[in-house]
Amino acid sequence: MKRLSLLIFLLALPAFIFAGGQKEAAKTTGPQTVTITVWAKANNVEHWRADAAVPAAKALNEELKKEGKNITVVVKPIYDNTPWGQYKNKFTMAADAGEGPDIICSGHEDVPVWAQAGYIMPLADSVSQVQGMYPQFKDVIDSLWNATKWHGKVWAVPQDTEARPMFFSKTNLKKMGWTDAQIKALPEKINSGQFTLADLIKTAQEAIKKGVVKPGFGFWHRPKRGGDFIQFYVSYGGKVYDPDKDKLILDKNALLKWYQFQRKVVTSGITPKNYIGTEWKIWHDTVSHNKALFWNGGIWQWADWKTNYLNGDESILFKNVGYALIPSGIRGKEGNTLSHPLVYMVTTEKASGNKYRDLVIRLLALMTTKEINTKHALESTHLGILKSQMQYKPYLDAKFLSSVTYMLKHNWYQPNDSYYGQWFDTVWKGMSDAENGTKTPQAAVDLVVKEMKIELGDNVIIK
Amino acid sequence: MGKETEEIKKIKPGRPDWFWFLFPSLLLIVLFFFLPVVITLIISGTNMSSNTGFHAWKWVGFDNFRKIAILPETAGHFWLTVKYVAVTLAFFNIGMALVVSIITTHISRGTGFFFRALWLLPRITPTVTYILMWKFLGANAPYGVFNQLIIQPLGLEPQNWVAAASFLFIVLVNGYIGASFGMIIFTSAIESIPKDITIASLVDGASMLQRIRYIILPYIKWPLLFVTTYQTLSLMTSFEQIMVLTDGQFNTEVWSLWAYHRALQNYWGNFQWGFGNALAAVLVVIGIILGIVYLRYFKFNELVQEPKIESL
Repeated sequence: MKRLSLLIFLLALPAFIFAGGQKEAAKTTGPQTVTITVWAKANNVEHWRADAAVPAAKALNEELKKEGKNITVVVKPIYDNTPWGQYKNKFTMAADAGEGPDIICSGHEDVPVWAQAGYIMPLADSVSQVQGMYPQFKDVIDSLWNATKWHGKVWAVPQDTEARPMFFSKTNLKKMGWTDAQIKALPEKINSGQFTLADLIKTAQEAIKKGVVKPGFGFWHRPKRGGDFIQFYVSYGGKVYDPDKDKLILDKNALLKWYQFQRKVVTSGITPKNYIGTEWKIWHDTVSHNKALFWNGGIWQWADWKTNYLNGDESILFKNVGYALIPSGIRGKEGNTLSHPLVYMVTTEKASGNKYRDLVIRLLALMTTKEINTKHALESTHLGILKSQMQYKPYLDAKFLSSVTYMLKHNWYQPNDSYYGQWFDTVWKGMSDAENGTKTPQAAVDLVVKEMKIELGDNVIIK
Repeated sequence: MGKETEEIKKIKPGRPDWFWFLFPSLLLIVLFFFLPVVITLIISGTNMSSNTGFHAWKWVGFDNFRKIAILPETAGHFWLTVKYVAVTLAFFNIGMALVVSIITTHISRGTGFFFRALWLLPRITPTVTYILMWKFLGANAPYGVFNQLIIQPLGLEPQNWVAAASFLFIVLVNGYIGASFGMIIFTSAIESIPKDITIASLVDGASMLQRIRYIILPYIKWPLLFVTTYQTLSLMTSFEQIMVLTDGQFNTEVWSLWAYHRALQNYWGNFQWGFGNALAAVLVVIGIILGIVYLRYFKFNELVQEPKIESL
């Protein structure tokens, strides 16, 4: 009998533990003070992602006072610089336990996943509805709302966006014998598809041959996992998502050409062997000190190079570094760039344990002003998200930002599809295998197709 | 004789006594070993993921295990794990531990102590610092120590050695930490071998190798069993050093790291708890089987037998 009751106790324990997760943490917030927590993943130059809540709360409290309401909003902005996976993991666990923040700043691709799990709440049923909620939301650049939609509803407010250019060393091209006019015309040639990825390999090889850069320093792509790589898949005509069928796409032909490109940069000697996984510090140090010919990264890294690698001297960057779209792999096809808007999502009452959702959205609107957002844009070299910023003097005065804004005409977003994470992981693994030479590009493609079928089944269209 | 047995029966502890005696450790085992296994098995039968949250999940039976069986990458992770555990265990956690403990018990006490303390350094250095040292040892030119001091002066082609010799690196990184565990246990076991036996063997003219083979090894059989079992299981499930060093790149994603990545560390944040737990469940089962095999092979029953001398 005792044994039986022990067994029942053991079997029932997990049920108690599981049930514990469902219980909502009953937080008591006084009627006068509402605490709103904002989480953002940011480094030292991106702290405004969270700190935007401070001036916004000040403005909100003034408004509330004028309205004669006896409520004071206190904000807790928290930013941390852990890797994305850990950051998202932390949020997931916290939200599920009812201990999440009120506002979470993360990539737009989290919208479908977290919406489905019930962690975040929809803000409006349509873009026009969200634009009507607050004048600040009306000010947001229209196309950016596309990245915040899922199943017809709007789930987030854009925080910033960027472009991910192909950087090149102007001074090294000059050493190779390029004229100033040729160098100046390069972005346009990439834009129009006259300078392709094949030309990039050829030029980089030439630079090594002429001794302008060391072997292996002709092209340094992003050293670690990231959405940037999918730009090359897009360069070869690949598509990620079919909006009509609401399904992911895997284009075998484009995948193969992309993998062949990744392998070729190594075999042609312009990228070091076993290069994937190089430390970020080494990468930044190399590219910011003009040791490579081409490298692809993001515009936000400009601020990082300036602040953390060049003692704040931006003129060195302007002297050495040029930037363009990611060249196409197909001659005549225009270049592309990936934008990955970060967005603010409002968590549900259950996920945050805080019932004042209206106040949270109101605070969010006040965080979305040209003054605050421009501070973030300038300090971290991200692109602005508001129409009014395009006429705002401090923003216009930022030479680098105004010179890359045109790239947004050629940008694309990763899809808001909850299976995108698995899609990405599978093609990334295949790419690493192809580039490192552990598999031929064709073998890597075959494996990816096989795994994609098992992992995603009907959720992906394989062409 | 009959009277004696009756008396023994009388003083043998009754059931409630042994229960309360064992209760604290039983509770710990149930809470921290048995329940996690039960929870792992339960979650492995679900489709729980970021998409479903912890509430909207469904039972999927053995779907996750079927997926493990048919995924082309499974075999790669499996054989890598076998190779990694076997090589690290043989060369470091047992091999090196034995070598270090035998040598340091046969030199002067102070020197032996000094070298053993050195071998403890990797274990007490914080993981991130320790791995950073390895990374910069093997990093690509012009940064890596190895490239700067050896490869370039010899006129060879510098490269990122962590990537080029990834398997060797994960074995070394874990081996240097793992060796000290066995070292401590073997050392104390060797030092507790009765001196008269060692001296007698010296008088008989036994060589060092003969002493190791016929005296030391038989005497430390039980510590060897313990270290082998414990380190096999711990190598099979530990991945933090590999995660910090390569994050599974360059064919270093051992099974436990695969499970961790799937369940908790997916780049775009879609964590697959159900599938990740199924991967962990496989490890649990293999661990249990290996544990039983080891105990049988090393005749664990003999160790826990009542001392023969008492029954005489």
